Amino acid sequence: KDKSAASKDSTHEGAAKRQEDGAETPKQQLLDIIGTMKVEVSYRKKLQQLKASESKKQAMKKLEGLGSEGSVPQGITEDTQRGKPLNPELVKAASAVASSLPHNKKQTESELLAQLRRHEETTDKQKKGGTINIRNVISEMTVKRQSPAQRGARISGRISLQLDEDGQRIRPERLSARSMESRRCCEILNIGFLFFVYRSLKVGKRLNIFTKASTEPEHALKTVSSPTIWDLEFAKEVAAVTAQPPRNGFEEMIQWTKEGILWEFPIDNEVGMEDDAEFHEHIFLEKHLEGFPREGPIRHFMELVICGLSKNPYLSVKQKVEHIEWFQKYFEEKKELLQEI
Amino acid sequence: MAMAAVCWAVRAVRQVLPSPCPRQVRSYYVDWRMLRDVKRRKMAYEHADERLRINAIRKNSILPKELQEVADKEIAALPRDSCPVRIRNRCVLTSRPRGVKRRWRVSRIVFRHFADHAQMSGVQRAMW
Repeated sequence: KDKSAASKDSTHEGAAKRQEDGAETPKQQLLDIIGTMKVEVSYRKKLQQLKASESKKQAMKKLEGLGSEGSVPQGITEDTQRGKPLNPELVKAASAVASSLPHNKKQTESELLAQLRRHEETTDKQKKGGTINIRNVISEMTVKRQSPAQRGARISGRISLQLDEDGQRIRPERLSARSMESRRCCEILNIGFLFFVYRSLKVGKRLNIFTKASTEPEHALKTVSSPTIWDLEFAKEVAAVTAQPPRNGFEEMIQWTKEGILWEFPIDNEVGMEDDAEFHEHIFLEKHLEGFPREGPIRHFMELVICGLSKNPYLSVKQKVEHIEWFQKYFEEKKELLQEI
Repeated sequence: MAMAAVCWAVRAVRQVLPSPCPRQVRSYYVDWRMLRDVKRRKMAYEHADERLRINAIRKNSILPKELQEVADKEIAALPRDSCPVRIRNRCVLTSRPRGVKRRWRVSRIVFRHFADHAQMSGVQRAMW
C-alpha cells in the first residue's frame, strides 16, 4: 500500500524507490531465511520461508518488470508493476467504485487495485502449482509425526493394560511416573498432530474415495412383486442363525422391543389406534338411525344411545356403527312382541 | 394380567422365537383355579359388548317393561362365565385370591419379597 501511495506522487521517484525496495527486500528475505535455517525447522518457519521465497520471486519479477517498462508512460506502470497486466474492466470497475465512495478517491482506487493484484497473484500461483510445495511439506510433516503419537498411545495403552492385568503386583508409583511421562509426550504429540491435522484438512490432494451420491432415481423397479414362501423361510433361517444372544441389557431391550414385549419409547398413546375418521363422523350419528321408527319409545331410546356414543372418545366409528346396528337387529327380532304391545 | 395373557398365548400358540438364546418360558399356570379365572376373563371379554347392550335395554325407564323382561331372560341365558363379576383378581405369581394389591397384581407376600430385594420400582420401606 505504501508503494502504491508513493507511486501516485511521481512515477520516476516511485520507480527509483521501488527499485531500491526491490533490492533491499530480497536481501532481507535471504537474511531471514539464513536466520531461520539455524533454528529448529518447525512448520510455521517453513511456511514463512516459502512465503518469503515467493515474495522474493515477486520482487524479482517486479525488478524485471520495471527494468523492461521503465520508459512506459505513467498510467500503465501502476497497473503493470508486478509484470501482470490487470483486466482493464476491473480497473474501470475499481475506479467507478472509488468514485462512488465519499473519501479519498485516489487512495481508495489504488488500494482496490492492490487488492486485485494480490488476488491475481494468488490465482496465478495456484495455476502454476506454487502452493503444492506447502501441501507436500504438510503432508510429509503429518506422516512423520503420526507414528510417534501412535507409539505413545500404544505405550500408554500397554501400560494401562499392565496395570489392569497385574494390578497389585506392579508398584503404582513407578508406573504412574512412566505413564505420566508417556501421557505428556502423547499429549504434546497429539496436540502437534491435531495441529497438523487441522491444517491438512483444508489443504491436500483429493483422494477421490467418496463419490457424490447419484441423484438418479434408484433402479428399484425390480419386479419383486411377492416374496415367495421359500424366500420368507430362508430369511427366517438366516435371521435365526445370525441372531446372537444379547451381549448386554441394551441389546436385550432392543430384542424385546422387536418382539413387542417392550413398548417403544417415548410412549405413543395412540399406538395401534389408527382412527382416520373426522370428528363429525363421531358426533353426528343420526344418519345411522334411518332404520328405526320415527316416533315412539324406541326412537327416544336410540337417540339417547347416540348421544352417549357421540361423547365416547374411546370407540372408533366402526364400533359405534356396529353398536347401532346390533340394536337395529335386536329390535327387528322383537318386532312381533312390540306389535303386541 | 400381562403374565396370564402371556401364558395363555404360550399355551395356545407355541411361537418359535427367532432368537436361539434359551429363555425361561412358563408353560403352565400356577394352579387350576388360576386357569379357570383366565377362562372366565376370556369369556367375559368376548361377551362384554352383548352384555352391555342388553343391560342398556334392561336398565331403562323408556322402553316397555315387556321388552325389558325379555332382555332379562336373554342375559340369564348367556354362559355363566361371561359375567365379569366372577373374575377374581388373583395374584399373578402365586394365585393367591386374597391380599392382592391391584397396582402390582401381586399378593402381599410376594410384594414384600420383591420390595425387600429392591426389585419393585419406586417402592421403598416406609419410615417417618
